[in-house]
Amino acid sequence: MKEWMKFALLAVAFAIFYFAPIDAPIVLASISAGLSLLHEYARLHVLTCLVPAFFIAGTIAVYVKKEAVLQLLGPTTKKYIAYPIASVSGGILAVCSCTILPLFTGIYKRGAGIGPAVAFLFTGPAINITAILLTGSVLGWDFAISRLIAAMVISVVAGLFMAFLFKEHDRNNANGAFATGLGSDVEYSNTLILLFFLLQLAILVLFGLSIDPLFKAILIIAIIAVLLGIVFFKFQKEHNLAWLNETWDLTKKILPYLFVGVFVAGIIEVVVPQEVVTSLVGQNSLLANVIASTFGAFMYFATLTEVPIIQKLMGLGMGRGPALTLFLTGNALSLPSMIVLFKVMGKKQAPAYILTIMVLSVFAGWLFGEVI
Amino acid sequence: MKNVAILGSGCSKCKVLEQRLQDLKAAHALDISVVKVTDLEQIISHGVMMTPGLVIDGQLKSVGTVPKDSQLLEWLKE
Repeated sequence: MKEWMKFALLAVAFAIFYFAPIDAPIVLASISAGLSLLHEYARLHVLTCLVPAFFIAGTIAVYVKKEAVLQLLGPTTKKYIAYPIASVSGGILAVCSCTILPLFTGIYKRGAGIGPAVAFLFTGPAINITAILLTGSVLGWDFAISRLIAAMVISVVAGLFMAFLFKEHDRNNANGAFATGLGSDVEYSNTLILLFFLLQLAILVLFGLSIDPLFKAILIIAIIAVLLGIVFFKFQKEHNLAWLNETWDLTKKILPYLFVGVFVAGIIEVVVPQEVVTSLVGQNSLLANVIASTFGAFMYFATLTEVPIIQKLMGLGMGRGPALTLFLTGNALSLPSMIVLFKVMGKKQAPAYILTIMVLSVFAGWLFGEVI
Repeated sequence: MKNVAILGSGCSKCKVLEQRLQDLKAAHALDISVVKVTDLEQIISHGVMMTPGLVIDGQLKSVGTVPKDSQLLEWLKE
């Protein structure tokens, strides 16, 4: 951060403290709403959903053989394999948003080409595993699954469409070097890793079930014991450390922003008039979905913060269709990411991609609102 | 004198790798120069998509991981 920016931020903070009507009821109500939503998240979602989700994401980062997945996105891969792999690999390869861009550029310029690259670019942030798990925990699993499926379908359709629009792009991809990784260093059996992954997922699912609390506690403790057994007797120390490191890294990157996002979401409930929300996006009309899609495309949501914000907008009367639309464009697009896209893809492809995603999201959200 | 390049756009593992290399350099008085490559085009031109990539004297040594210290030392002393 530049020095003058620090100064500007401090000056703005000072001006706010100096002039803000701190005693006004709306200010007090906003702060209290923000805090009470934070309280709700701390009580209901942090330990039972987010912590297991971070560990699961850490497991994916350390133990999934990424080279094998990437190999399937190379220049010579058959398209009917590359597209589906690209549409799910976002959740596997890109646990952190900073890894998405190099992967995208690699697939785009040297690998399977523009179509699969676009599919990957869209699902990377959209089907992030922690985001899906938190969505399920907060808004219900029908919502989370719809979000997942809609993102995967849109990514493939958008990819195919882009490949059709820019046929000439992939010509010179076939001869570039496509190094994916030199030797995988994970030497455990796939079954063991899968078991390790599923047991952690089981903890998260168990927390969500409404069964006898004692029985639930016994089951969870038993699973944790098995997990610890795997950690101590099967896995090597360096991999365990890497696992903890990745988990901690994600926590550091996501949790502070999420807390801020939750607080802001609480304020939204007080500050934004209900009539505005219901009149703009209350119905599942095409227009409401277009509004949601456009808002999501420009607005920047830090990872996971879309969940509390959409939760509160729905509380104010936002329809389920526009809510799903907002989920789809909210993570995939933002003003900063658009600027980067223009740089990487150029003046023709970037707007085509952005428009395709916005239109497809409108359609998916509208369909969801009508059917489910 | 070995030229070591770390390819990475600023992910946490890239920073760890850079720190490790600097530590090793200091601890073993290695004759190396460590540079960081953050430009995406240049990173991709090595065929690297999983950061950090480690290039020693123009040769790609590792991708997407922070190698063990012993392994790093071996490469640096070759």
